Amino acid sequence: MKKYNDLFLLGLLLAAVPLVTGGSPYYMRLATLALVYMAWTVAFNLIFGHTKQLFLCVGALAGSAAYMTVVLTKQLALSPWLSVPLGVATAAGLGALFSYVSVLRGLGVIFLGIVTLAFSLIFHNLVLGLRQFTNGETGLVTRGLGFPALEQALPSYYIFLAVLLGAFAVYGALMRSRMGLAVRALSDDELTAELSGINVTRYKVLAAAVASAILGLAGSLYAFYNGIVSPSVFSFVSVDIPVLIGLLLGGMRTRLGPILGAAAFAVIEELVRPFGQLNVLVYGFLLIVLFVAFREGIVVLLRKRLGVSLP
Amino acid sequence: MSAIIFDGIVQGLQLSLLAVGITLIYGLGGVLNLAHGQFAIVGGVLASLLISKGIPPGISCLGGIAGAGVLGILVDRTLMLPAYRFRGEERLLLGLILTLGLSFVIDGYLNYQVPEFSLTLQLPVAMVEFAGIPMRTASLAASLVALAIFAGLFAFLKLTLLGKCIRSIIENEVGAELCGIDPSRTRTLIVCLAAMMAGVAGVTQGLFSSLGTEMGPEFTILGLLVAVVGGVRSINGTLAAGILLGIVNAFASHYVGAYVAYIILLSFAMATILVRPAGLLARFT
Repeated sequence: MKKYNDLFLLGLLLAAVPLVTGGSPYYMRLATLALVYMAWTVAFNLIFGHTKQLFLCVGALAGSAAYMTVVLTKQLALSPWLSVPLGVATAAGLGALFSYVSVLRGLGVIFLGIVTLAFSLIFHNLVLGLRQFTNGETGLVTRGLGFPALEQALPSYYIFLAVLLGAFAVYGALMRSRMGLAVRALSDDELTAELSGINVTRYKVLAAAVASAILGLAGSLYAFYNGIVSPSVFSFVSVDIPVLIGLLLGGMRTRLGPILGAAAFAVIEELVRPFGQLNVLVYGFLLIVLFVAFREGIVVLLRKRLGVSLP
Repeated sequence: MSAIIFDGIVQGLQLSLLAVGITLIYGLGGVLNLAHGQFAIVGGVLASLLISKGIPPGISCLGGIAGAGVLGILVDRTLMLPAYRFRGEERLLLGLILTLGLSFVIDGYLNYQVPEFSLTLQLPVAMVEFAGIPMRTASLAASLVALAIFAGLFAFLKLTLLGKCIRSIIENEVGAELCGIDPSRTRTLIVCLAAMMAGVAGVTQGLFSSLGTEMGPEFTILGLLVAVVGGVRSINGTLAAGILLGIVNAFASHYVGAYVAYIILLSFAMATILVRPAGLLARFT
């Protein structure tokens, strides 16, 4: 059971958060949002941290799952039990496609970045343009469409906690499997990994598909929880940048890094909220400073300072 | 019909002006500049600040363009230093993230400092007749400026010793260094030139309609698309791709609307990367 220790500890710790917030709706919402971003960051760690695929479309993948789910539920009156898996499958399929195409065409980190950035913009413009389905900039109201539990604060918190712990467990299981070994090898040197008989294509595509499915699941449920789904909810600035900063802050290629990083980012975001427009400036500044001076992240720092073996 | 083509060419020249800077910085510095559109905005903002101080518009525009160039030098000499320490893929990734961060810093600062900003320049004569087509003086002026800059750039790169040095660095940085060329000084010069060209594009945008602080990311993306379609190392390719995409965009906007036009442009760039990573016109340049 030792290998599940951190999962249980993390679960217990986060499950106790609603006791601390004392039922204040504002802090409950913040805590729930933090869980969503943690799940997204765990997924992004798998894509960018471990397999070095720069996906600049985290928001667009989560958003495509969310829109798929909501539009299917609304237009075809599907049950959310059916539409959420369809949304998740959309995200996973798109993620796998980008990964497969990039390996197939030998795209470097930069070209994959541009392709996925282009996809982000295409997604954004499609949502704005397909007004009859998506209601454009205003977005769609999702109240009363999805699961009733996602419209109450406390049950929602535990649903997203379950999603996060599920993502964490899947991540842990993958990294303990043969895939973990393969991924560690290919993040050091792809060519050498390929030469030692590792199927690089398969593991990169698998990592991208699993991570995109997590992005999509959290995105779909978030759309129901949020009460409204609009382009700004899943824009580049509101998803990709926080997730990238959270991952760098916590520590790439570590298990707890994405969770600590996303939590730290949630705190920072709360601190800069009073400054309004300046938050974009703070994000940019953080991105620069973190990438230049703090590339290892909180987890590695704690490991060195405290001498503890954090996963 | 011919009016649409003409319109496309005019837009395309502006796009090329932005994109050629991205191409030059990528070719020479090995960094994909994601803050390029913001350079254009800074140029425009400075020009309009100078105009509001009562300085004649012509001089103010030159001041704005020079300001963008100074920003370019500053960025190259400070922010990009950590990236230049690496080579290849590592430098690309670091440069990408650093310039992305820079773009947010500039956007955030300008939105906070000059939220209501817009730059609109008025020319004394509004319309002229050119080759039988009535067209706006602004379009003609902007295009002539862009063409003059391109002619100057080509002459500089083909005819002067410094231009030859620059092309040799684009070809092979280590090789050029072995021949005694200092890549870091040439790089600063090129980043400055590229930022100034972006500044020109920002100022001329004020001629067409108006320039606002929120347009930075859009400029960056459009420039990036053109640079990618033209092949991120080829300057002639960039010029051709700009005009091509300008015409495509003009037709698409006219017949199917702005959203679809943008999606067509993006798909075009995506397809180019996947099918011809060296650029659409790689073989001809």
